[in-house]
Amino acid sequence: MARGVTGRRSLALACGALLAAGCGRGDRIVVGAKNFTESDLLAELVAQQIERRTGLPVDRRLHLGGTFVCHRAITAGQIGVYVEYTGTAFTAILNHAPLGDRDSVYRAVAAEYAQRFGLTWGRPFGFDNTFAIVVRRRDAERYGLRRISDVARVAPRWKAAFGYEFLERPDGFAGLARVYGLKFAAPPTAMALGLTYRALADGKADLIAGNSTDGVIQALDLVALEDDRRYFPPYEAAPVARADLLGRHPEIARALDELGGKISDDAMRRLNALADVEHQDVAAIAREWLARTLP
Amino acid sequence: MNLLQFYAHNSREALTLIGQHLFLVAVSTGIALTVGVPGGILLTRRPAWRGPVLGIANVLQTIPSLALFGFLIPLPFIGGIGARTAIVALVVYALLPIVRNTYTGIAGVDPAVREAGRGMGMTDGQLLAMVELPLAAGVILAGIRVATVVSVGTATLAGAIGAGGLGVYIFRGADMVNNTLILAGAVPAALMALAADGLLGLAERRLAWRAG
Repeated sequence: MARGVTGRRSLALACGALLAAGCGRGDRIVVGAKNFTESDLLAELVAQQIERRTGLPVDRRLHLGGTFVCHRAITAGQIGVYVEYTGTAFTAILNHAPLGDRDSVYRAVAAEYAQRFGLTWGRPFGFDNTFAIVVRRRDAERYGLRRISDVARVAPRWKAAFGYEFLERPDGFAGLARVYGLKFAAPPTAMALGLTYRALADGKADLIAGNSTDGVIQALDLVALEDDRRYFPPYEAAPVARADLLGRHPEIARALDELGGKISDDAMRRLNALADVEHQDVAAIAREWLARTLP
Repeated sequence: MNLLQFYAHNSREALTLIGQHLFLVAVSTGIALTVGVPGGILLTRRPAWRGPVLGIANVLQTIPSLALFGFLIPLPFIGGIGARTAIVALVVYALLPIVRNTYTGIAGVDPAVREAGRGMGMTDGQLLAMVELPLAAGVILAGIRVATVVSVGTATLAGAIGAGGLGVYIFRGADMVNNTLILAGAVPAALMALAADGLLGLAERRLAWRAG
């Protein structure tokens, strides 16, 4: 019985008791997701796209855990497909030092995943969920800020607040300040990431680091500045699938390819906002997006 | 890297954070004391206020701390990011046990003893200072003990709002998936809570012994 495919537990038990070999025929595809909204949303998109285009039954295992949980699940065959980010795979799974060029990161990740884990990277969706330097729209307009390098002028009068991860990571604050020559009025305030948005919107901080696709950026009337010196490593999202599964069902790879390049940063931000800010159902958001974008 | 090596390499930072933590607990418990004990006494004099005041304190106690920080950030004077907001939140959490125990302690004084005091011609102030507070001291101190121990734990959340303290290590460790860092914050915080509990427990016992 193929391990990339898991039946309903009761069914699997019954089959296992009777005749294990006969069970692999009714393939069920299992799509997993990490434990945050965007990952759930993309998994739902992938799941519905597979259902629509191939007619194969798809199980969802959403909100599983962090990167390592999903990676272990897919290498063990508990799930068949999930959405991963190139930068995360490159640094957290493959333990390389962060790299700036998006194409070389994608190529390296795809090659190493195929060789070491028997996993295939599909086409990236088109957006980049990397760190984003975020300011109030009002300030961006008043001081003419479009790119991060524009911030150097106002930084000496500004107060920055960051999450702990951004302050600690090798591709976080220290390097940013160096590359862009940013000198703030005081050392940045360290606080819980979720509260930094609140502090920025309420005028208690002037600059924070969020994620480029966070839905609240639009909801709170904030803007993400362009990383004009390409400091942040690329975190392009793309579906990762077990090669044996794609071998059995090449139609899945074709279905996933259709999603490639279809979601811009802005579009992903809007999708996240529908879920996080307007609290719409993830499956409904995905269904509507698919119907509109890929009829 | 184990915990001891970590402290050896980061002793200055660790001491600063411990100092900030103690500061947050001391200031907030101090404020809660100066507000809570008179507040509890007032409730014994104004029984009609008891229900609403304890009710509000109860509700405040149940607000999750991160949510409370979120509410406080936009407020003028008591909000923003930094130590002030953290202290306001800690005071909010420390008030209930202090107010409630002060009220309960004084209300629990035997009416016969109070009558005897009045019979001797004591004013309300004398009755309070010489009869009620000494007899209620054990219960009040128990409330202060609970408030202090809870504050030591809750003060780790000050790290969420830029106020420093041992929570900095815990948040940093959680965000970086680094257990040594989490322990570097959690272990001294736990020891601090145990020490506060032990010291105040000792004071409570000495008081009970003197009263007995």
